[in-house]
Amino acid sequence: MESGNPLLDDFLRSLTGLKKPRVCFLPTASGDADHYIVRYYNAFRDSSEASHISLFRREKGVENIRDHLLSQDLIYVGGGSVISMLGVWRAHGIDEILREAWERGIVLCGLSAGSLCWFDEGLTGYQDQSRRVLGLGFLPYSNMVHFEVGSARHGVYEDELKAGLRPGYAAADGAALHFVDTEMVQVVASRPEARAYRLDLRGDRPKTTQIATRYLGSADHIPLVGESSLPWASSPLAA
Amino acid sequence: MGGHEFDRLDGNESICDHIVELTGGPRPKICLLPTASGDPEDQIARFRRSFGGRGCEVSQISLFRLGADPIDVSAHLLSQDAIYVGGGSLVNLVAIWNAHGIGDMLELCLDRGILICGQSAGAMTWFEYGITCSSGLPAAAPGLGVLEGSLCVHYHRDPGRRSRYLADVGAGLPAGYGADDQSAMLFVDGRLTEAMSFRPGAGIWRVETEGDGVSEAALDLVERFHAPANGKQGGAVEDFRALNEWRRPGGRLRGR
Repeated sequence: MESGNPLLDDFLRSLTGLKKPRVCFLPTASGDADHYIVRYYNAFRDSSEASHISLFRREKGVENIRDHLLSQDLIYVGGGSVISMLGVWRAHGIDEILREAWERGIVLCGLSAGSLCWFDEGLTGYQDQSRRVLGLGFLPYSNMVHFEVGSARHGVYEDELKAGLRPGYAAADGAALHFVDTEMVQVVASRPEARAYRLDLRGDRPKTTQIATRYLGSADHIPLVGESSLPWASSPLAA
Repeated sequence: MGGHEFDRLDGNESICDHIVELTGGPRPKICLLPTASGDPEDQIARFRRSFGGRGCEVSQISLFRLGADPIDVSAHLLSQDAIYVGGGSLVNLVAIWNAHGIGDMLELCLDRGILICGQSAGAMTWFEYGITCSSGLPAAAPGLGVLEGSLCVHYHRDPGRRSRYLADVGAGLPAGYGADDQSAMLFVDGRLTEAMSFRPGAGIWRVETEGDGVSEAALDLVERFHAPANGKQGGAVEDFRALNEWRRPGGRLRGR
């Protein structure tokens, strides 16, 4: 859903192995923001059977959420507030349905809050403040997003590791961590410079290791990435 | 409030005049919590236009955009004269507030004497139960339980809610009130002190079991039908101006 850059969207569709997969968007973390839903349909409607579920307007739309989600090939979770999203998901039983979808082999992905949610713990960090948020726990690691080179987030993550946060993965905008079951198998990127990292403790010292990244575009074609008005509209993703 | 959208009913916003009166101050600070609808910009703009136009210092807290605009939520809420809780999904509202610990902060606000008002889901959330369409069809869902009993909003506008409410109270849901759009109840220290109507025909009913059935008894209402002041309320142009005004200093993601 990066503006003008379909590389990650194309990659996600390729993971389903289908020409026209059924894709469902969960924009909960944005409060089901209309402009975000429109953006999703613009990115997915031509190449997939696209749908979305709004948990703020359930009197309209999909009637049986469970059946609908479990019939998908790909479930895409949008960005926004991970705390608000997880609260709403639990109230509607979405957390249980997503676990079932995961066990059935449906491809699950998301960006920003939609990345943090799959892990044991997500680390949010804005302006020197960091907060650990318990995720759905499908992936037994910690996770941080918007992990740009030179960002204060590098220090935040290392401090949290020292304070007992479990090891995990961080990704910069445009980089995607690809897990099969619970194993990280590759990092792909929609921008040549986008990076992802593994963060562990060696003894009592935090260690950040850059992971080799596969750029999804051709080497001679560097895409223009449109500027986004939303901090989470074009950012890291876990698939 | 049994239902009050800022653009409804030909700009009848006499309910807003009354909220400002209740705060008692010359330039009251009033903060919107639009959580139940997912913090949509149009609701924020209408709120700002409506209360900003009544001489209030307006703000809102968006729990979906705290990351982009971190503020001390508790301190901000405690500095208000009034807090206005918008409508939407009761289930989502309670879930999100619990996730962020907002309920406890608001109870502290109540203890400090801050006026808290809300419409639709934002009204039902104070009771033990409300009748909501959060899961599709009308159904009872728990609120914070600050006020005893239950509330059903949009009472005659949405007949499905009313029949669900009557059936549920008959089946053991705590007794309570059915409130029409443009009606309101004022509670002081948990006790109903005044029931009000802001439009001819808007009523409130006490709903409780009686023998084998359920009774609906109309409350005596204080009528506060004001003519729309200065005739410029509710306009799309004013909403748009309020939205632009809010966006100007720091772009759309400014929370305040």
